[in-house]
Amino acid sequence: MNCLKLYQNVSSTYCRHISTTSCLEHLQKMSRVKVVDNSMIGRQSVIKGKRPRIIHVYTSKKPQVGLLGDTVLIAIMGEKKHAYIVGCVEKQKANVPRFDTNNVVLVEDTGIPTGTRVLVPIPSCLRGKEGDFTKILSIATKFV
Amino acid sequence: MKIELCSFSGFKIYPGHGKKIVKTDGRVFQFISSKAESSHMMKRNPRKINWTVLYRRKLKKGQSEEISKKRNRRTTKFRRAITGATLNDIMAKRNQKPEVRKAQREQAIRAAKEKAKAKDAQKKANKAASAKAAPKQKAAKQIHSKAPRVGGKR
Repeated sequence: MNCLKLYQNVSSTYCRHISTTSCLEHLQKMSRVKVVDNSMIGRQSVIKGKRPRIIHVYTSKKPQVGLLGDTVLIAIMGEKKHAYIVGCVEKQKANVPRFDTNNVVLVEDTGIPTGTRVLVPIPSCLRGKEGDFTKILSIATKFV
Repeated sequence: MKIELCSFSGFKIYPGHGKKIVKTDGRVFQFISSKAESSHMMKRNPRKINWTVLYRRKLKKGQSEEISKKRNRRTTKFRRAITGATLNDIMAKRNQKPEVRKAQREQAIRAAKEKAKAKDAQKKANKAASAKAAPKQKAAKQIHSKAPRVGGKR
């Protein structure tokens, strides 16, 4: 009996309980992002290895986290550009697909998209969005 | 709502179930459960995993055997007329009696034999004519053919 107790004590000190929570993968300031349209700037940044970063997220919510469909300010090739978030690595709601990269479509100040086509599937939950977003949906090739 | 199929297991995914993932190259995958998803991430081949639809189809498990047999029986022979012969002609040829066919065969054989005989006769006539023209050349040729044989034996 005593021997058993001793053994139990030893095993409890040896095992470590490490809690692992998965990474949040929020799109916030300084998070790197992938440009998904066929604009020249997007392609150049890939070639030169200067991946675009988010400088500002246009939301009124307190933790400035970018969600699907949010507008975002991006620093790309020394320029500031607006962009729409088109795919998130973060876990989403039920019927929304999860992407392996944080995808972004570049937009000019006027609201017209910089590129002429979006090469990657776009979630169809973005179809109901207002005004400027319809221009991006019109250049999209595939919906998910 | 569209009922999709799981990319790994092949089960139907009703709305409200499962996960959808878009990979870096733009390929879209639907998974019915985390079991299917993690199997896919482990790069397992669904054709080797027993509970998937792909495996069952590949090894023909379940009801697919009966269905495939039934389909084979439905092929019917369809007799059509061709440009060379009308249906009646085809049917007549098919329904010919064996004796008639034999007689036709023998006729054909006879005709062929006669042709062959005629050809042989012509050839012989030609040979005779050429032989009379040059007999000495043939004799010379015979001597030459013997010489190389002697050298070969050594």
